Amino acid sequence: MPKYVLLLHDAPDSYSSLSPEQLQQVIQKYVAWGEKLRKTGVLQGGQKLADEPGRIMRQKNGQMRVTDGPYSETKEVLGGYYIVSADSYERAIDLARDCPHFDYGGAIEVRELDTMSQ
Amino acid sequence: MTTDPKGLVDHLFRERSGQMVAWLTRVFGAAYLDLVEEVVQDALLKALQQWPYSGVPSNPAGWLCQVARNGALDVLRRDSAFRSRAPAIAAELTRSTPGTMNESPDPVFEDDELKMIFLCCHPALPMDTRVALSLKTVSGFSVQEIGRAFLTSDATIAQRLVRAKRRLRELDVPFDLPSAEDLSPRLDAVLEVIYLLFNEGYASRGGDELVRADLCFEALRLARLVARSARTESPAAHALAALIALQAARRRARLDDRGEIVLLEEQDRSRWDAGLTALGFAHLERSAAGSVMTAYHVQAAIAAAHTSASSPADTPWRDILRLYDDLAVLNPSPLVRLNRIVAVWKVHGSEAALTDLRPLEAEPALQSYYLLPALKGRLLASIGDQGAARHAFEMALALPCSEPEQRFLEKQLKELGARS
Repeated sequence: MPKYVLLLHDAPDSYSSLSPEQLQQVIQKYVAWGEKLRKTGVLQGGQKLADEPGRIMRQKNGQMRVTDGPYSETKEVLGGYYIVSADSYERAIDLARDCPHFDYGGAIEVRELDTMSQ
Repeated sequence: MTTDPKGLVDHLFRERSGQMVAWLTRVFGAAYLDLVEEVVQDALLKALQQWPYSGVPSNPAGWLCQVARNGALDVLRRDSAFRSRAPAIAAELTRSTPGTMNESPDPVFEDDELKMIFLCCHPALPMDTRVALSLKTVSGFSVQEIGRAFLTSDATIAQRLVRAKRRLRELDVPFDLPSAEDLSPRLDAVLEVIYLLFNEGYASRGGDELVRADLCFEALRLARLVARSARTESPAAHALAALIALQAARRRARLDDRGEIVLLEEQDRSRWDAGLTALGFAHLERSAAGSVMTAYHVQAAIAAAHTSASSPADTPWRDILRLYDDLAVLNPSPLVRLNRIVAVWKVHGSEAALTDLRPLEAEPALQSYYLLPALKGRLLASIGDQGAARHAFEMALALPCSEPEQRFLEKQLKELGARS
């Protein structure tokens, strides 16, 4: 079964004005979504990335340059990822479709893992 | 990924954020309320970033507390304003492990919350500000939620909060319960705020129904907190807790499945919440200790009289009228006198009720209150004066009221038409 990685890009500040009650509701939606995927056995794992934009390394003319993020014009931050198993891109997209991430301005990047070369 | 199968307890974030704000305000001082709220909000946001991936930790409250503590320690390291006090604050942060580490209420933590309530209800603050500040800091409501509950703009609420915090800083109010000689008036002020919170939640004057239910729930929680703490336990606090629990028990039954208003005598009494009723009676019993008789006592007794009646016909209206007479002495407000009219109607009949209603029609405080003409309409209809009744209901409809209230009045008008 092919595997896909769901990269969750967070919209910055979309949660900052939410009340404690609303924050709890958002978490409960995520937990319910994850629980649904786990029950059907498609969720392989997931991890939050640390709260900092990271570093990017490039070598130019023999010189290593290390720069701090963010690296693109958009202010989105990669918050974490999930790995799911699905038989097609369409199926992987379907699994991500009702992720609460979209309710709060986030975006999900879906990428198939190359398992053929293993 | 590990997920606690229990998930999250209802309102956990709201309750714990209030408790953490109280704890950190004690440690940092009332002048740093803004900073403290920020630290707590950051801890909640960290949970939102972490838990979707890691699952809910087995002790979510303890997790939040730990993160808030680390956030507070970071502030100490970063902010030079605390340089001289930093070691003492850090020691206190590490020493005092708030009760969030376990699930049951912790006396030390409740003590902080209680002090927080007294701070928010400080007499130097205007009444509407006390209400807003209590909801924001003790109860973890957002500015938007407070605005929706009180039909006030977010900007107005935000402004009240800014002014309140500035005032508390100016006065350098200590974070502590008032001294023994000040306690009684300060406790009255606290109970008044809780009573207002409840009334606002219980009234069906439109606004957001969910937020209103939460207001009732929160008012009950605070009343019980005040009533069970050794320093603040008092007959008045028990009476208020009894009043809120008994009224809240009937809350569900006041609207039917389609969201239409159901009058008390037509409510399905099996839908009254038995747990809340029992809680109400337990507080009522304890409110009888001592010789003090407050307006909360009388209102709780009225609520209890309705609750004890197994059917509308069993309602002890004579007792209720006597209680309203007592209440009118303790609190001679136009609203109390208006509510009393219903008891007059049931005991002495429509004519007597209409006679008592007449002087109230000139009351400025009731000029735009739809319930006055609505009650008048029902009284007039009951003596067969259809035309005057119609006029009264039409007057009521012209006044501000919620959508279910409007539909209720329209229904009454329609029934008049059917009879004439």
